[in-house]
Amino acid sequence: MNIQLKKGVLEICVLSVLAHKDCYGYELVNEISKRIDISEGTIYPLLHRLKDEGYVTTYLQESAGGAPRKYYRLTESGRDEEHAQREEWMQFSASVNALLAGNTHADE
Amino acid sequence: MLMNEQEFIRILRNRLEGTLARDELDDIVSDYAEHFRAGKESGRSDEELWRALGSPDDIAREIRAMHLVKKAESVKSCGNIFHAVLATLGLGLFNLVFVLVPFILLVVMLLVIFMLGVAFAVIGPAAFVFSVLQLAGSPAFAIWLNPVAGLFISIGITTLGLLIIIGDYYLARFFYRAGIRYLKWNIGVITGTEEAE
Repeated sequence: MNIQLKKGVLEICVLSVLAHKDCYGYELVNEISKRIDISEGTIYPLLHRLKDEGYVTTYLQESAGGAPRKYYRLTESGRDEEHAQREEWMQFSASVNALLAGNTHADE
Repeated sequence: MLMNEQEFIRILRNRLEGTLARDELDDIVSDYAEHFRAGKESGRSDEELWRALGSPDDIAREIRAMHLVKKAESVKSCGNIFHAVLATLGLGLFNLVFVLVPFILLVVMLLVIFMLGVAFAVIGPAAFVFSVLQLAGSPAFAIWLNPVAGLFISIGITTLGLLIIIGDYYLARFFYRAGIRYLKWNIGVITGTEEAE
């Protein structure tokens, strides 16, 4: 699948995972790359940007392994943004799917 | 080349040094170091983690470009926008077409409009002085058919020149802001490292 498509939806994916639960970086990256084949390294710059924009905050928490881990959490405005982008995506993808399904029938 | 954590971090740090402030650099590097640590705890090898992350050169280029665009956004200057554009060019060959060409066209257009304004703003006062001298009876400066009309026309030309310069300034500000938004979008969506190997 082309890289632009994937990068375009990466933000809503990250917001959505974080809306579900707070995550540390590796955990979040895994959640995403489980489903979307993307260079994992690009998720961290995105997290930095989301933090700059005030959608995400971070805090440190001890891990079982020893060293503390940096957790990412959605802020209030991050939640609003997640809702807005989710709505947008749902409507958009439903429209595209309907269109594609329609065209398949026309081909037959 | 050995594909291990130390090498990955070294390349990342090396490419970002000089652009990012110390604490910002440490912050970014620590994210990747933590990624390697957590990955190894779950039993993956350095090389495996590196391949999944993608090239540290590409990651650094993207972080650098984003940083310089943000800098150009907070401190507006010709130098800053120039550096931001240069850094974005490094993200992919096609940005020669999508970034460099529009950038050059815009700069040339703004410069041409500016010079037009300056020309009017210089010619106007000169013509004004000429008409005053002509009115005073100096034949060497008799350029106007009607020196009284010349007074008003030269004031008009001067005003037009100043308005063009002011308009050009606002045009430049508008394109600066639009350009920043476009570069951010360009970095976030258009460009990107190829898929993980």
